[in-house]
Amino acid sequence: MRRADGELILLWTLPALGIIWISAFFLFPGFIQPMSPTMSAEEVAAFYRDPANLSRIRYSMILFNWFCVGLVPILTLIVMQIRRMAHRTPILSYCMLGCATGGPTLFLIANLFWLLAAFRPERDPELIQMFNDLAWVTFTSQVPYLIAQSVILALAIYLDRQSRPVFKPWVAHFNLLVAAALAPAAFIGLALGGPMAWDGLFPFWVKNIAIALWIIVMGIVLGQAIQRQRVEEGVAA
Amino acid sequence: MSAAATETVTPLEPPSGSLLHRVAWHWRHNPKRELWFAWWSMVVFYQVFGLVFFVLTRTQPPPKPWWEVPRVVQWFNDNHHGLLIGFGIMFLVTGMTAPCNALIAYSMRRMSVSRSFAYSYLLLYSLSAIPGMLLMCIALTVGAMRPDRDPELISWLYDFAFLSFVGTMGVFLIGSLVWMVAILIDKNRVFPKWFAYLNLCNALTEVVVSPAWIFKSGVFAWDGVIAWWINMVVFVVYTGVFIYLLRGMILREDFGSGPLPDLAPNEEPDPSGLARAAQ
Repeated sequence: MRRADGELILLWTLPALGIIWISAFFLFPGFIQPMSPTMSAEEVAAFYRDPANLSRIRYSMILFNWFCVGLVPILTLIVMQIRRMAHRTPILSYCMLGCATGGPTLFLIANLFWLLAAFRPERDPELIQMFNDLAWVTFTSQVPYLIAQSVILALAIYLDRQSRPVFKPWVAHFNLLVAAALAPAAFIGLALGGPMAWDGLFPFWVKNIAIALWIIVMGIVLGQAIQRQRVEEGVAA
Repeated sequence: MSAAATETVTPLEPPSGSLLHRVAWHWRHNPKRELWFAWWSMVVFYQVFGLVFFVLTRTQPPPKPWWEVPRVVQWFNDNHHGLLIGFGIMFLVTGMTAPCNALIAYSMRRMSVSRSFAYSYLLLYSLSAIPGMLLMCIALTVGAMRPDRDPELISWLYDFAFLSFVGTMGVFLIGSLVWMVAILIDKNRVFPKWFAYLNLCNALTEVVVSPAWIFKSGVFAWDGVIAWWINMVVFVVYTGVFIYLLRGMILREDFGSGPLPDLAPNEEPDPSGLARAAQ
């Protein structure tokens, strides 16, 4: 078995992961129409106490708890491709490794707060609201490693100077665009309403669509790169 | 790696002209551009970190652990915009710690020691930013975004923030010790041996901050002379020194695996030497 075959197995976990993530996303009643930060403590508590919501909150977040780290193997595949680039040092692959667990771990913390809020919905509404705030702020504002990941990958691609680079330059431009789309989400503390609030256009829709698009595009170009590597390995063998 | 090797054989003329022109030259020709990228990220990150924590958010030097609840609420109100804008900036740039940690890991890879030193440091410090900084930024953002929240809960967020920031010790403790041991046993002279003991000093500050979990006032509290001031002074000196030493390492780098050559006195990297090193 060639090395790239194992990598293809890891890559094919991505469509399965995508289906699970999309199901969990739609199962969580607070995402389809994102919960507003202007909801009062009583309204937030009522949201968690509603029997129609409560089990969906728990099941969707348990699903995310299992699978939110599922992207880590895919990120390591990107690290492997960076190592194949015409660089002089392993610095950029180290950078990518350093970012790989950051995003999933931060999502895991948000996930914990949501599950905590749902564990005893009969608690004081002020407490439920605080856990809900912690969850949403962590989920929305925690873009640092996602931004760094895209910028570092773009840089790695620009510096990959060989006749047949691992990724084409448009992948680098695309990554910079994604990094820019994620940036506004960092500032959600400033607005409880409007396009910059955590349920607004930029921090919710633009950011999450950018992440989804990044996963799809990177999945495809990774697949092509590994496929090519497989052919080259086959020739060498 | 073949393309990078052939490309740098072309003669290197010393860059001149505007800053933009020089940056463009290094981007195209400098064989150490990846290392300089990481080094400049480090410089910029620590500048932004200092600006956000000391000026914008006023979280350093820290407010008092012994304040009554109304005073804590007032602190949030006084710093409302600074906190929300400042930590927004942190959420934007914290990823720059990845190149910082990568460069330090690279310094250990350049040593005559096992790769496991570089990897342990990379893992420990990649983990460190979340409990060491981001949890605080999240808690204070949540605290500041709703000034009308129950004051008792605001006070809990305040404790959560400062204790997680000051009281996250192990990752930095073990990380500094890993770097220390690597420097002590290294035969490639990447760092002077005295820097190993500065790592030990930094590791010891992580020990002396631990009483911050117990004391609400006095020298051992999170704003105290021992748990904060000494800690911060050592950290600032340590960081300044390693930024300087890493710059020296990059200048001396010959991309070999033996001892790192010394720079001749007052010698900036000699272009022909670089070209030779690149071959």
